[in-house]
Amino acid sequence: MPIRFKIKSIEFIKIINVIEFTKASEGAKGSVKKMVQFSDTGTENVYNLAFGDYNQATNSINDLSVTNNGDSLKVLATVASTVYAFIEKHPNAWIFATGSTNVRTRLYRMGITNNLVEIKEDFEVYGFSQTSVWEEFLVEEDYEAFMTTKKQNIS
Amino acid sequence: MTIEQLNSSKLPIIVIDKRLEQFRDKVLFPEKLEKANEILSKAGLPNRKK
Repeated sequence: MPIRFKIKSIEFIKIINVIEFTKASEGAKGSVKKMVQFSDTGTENVYNLAFGDYNQATNSINDLSVTNNGDSLKVLATVASTVYAFIEKHPNAWIFATGSTNVRTRLYRMGITNNLVEIKEDFEVYGFSQTSVWEEFLVEEDYEAFMTTKKQNIS
Repeated sequence: MTIEQLNSSKLPIIVIDKRLEQFRDKVLFPEKLEKANEILSKAGLPNRKK
């Protein structure tokens, strides 16, 4: 599935500075708002990407909930597409991401793998290996976390 | 802007929702941020040399 999937409506939302977006997940469970946050880390130009379900009733976020709307790859693609918008604002940024569970981290790996050719047109992608080192992302390799940055940031 | 134009755009089209201002300075995913900082302090950034 391509990252820039066809959209039927505009539901991306953001705020400036730490940029956040939400996107509804639509399926049998109804519409579930997702929120994405790019947070400053303690390292200059490195931002942590995280997302989860936004509960409007309690005004809270849950990154462990399972929406089960059968559209997890679409949600993931939406989240990934926000990276393009974020990088546009912060061209020197490095984006760090990891799943809240091992299963989710594997889902992210699958999403990257499925779109690697397209991603690598603009970005370098790295995986944090089981031996605790960053390496260029390899398909089928298990990683604990991921980082990406624009190719121009690699000397 | 039409849906066709949106779909042909390389960058996602963003609409600002002012309601999210309330989250501007909040860390919504502290455990993930902690893990990020832990890995970054341990391993730093990937090697930038191609």
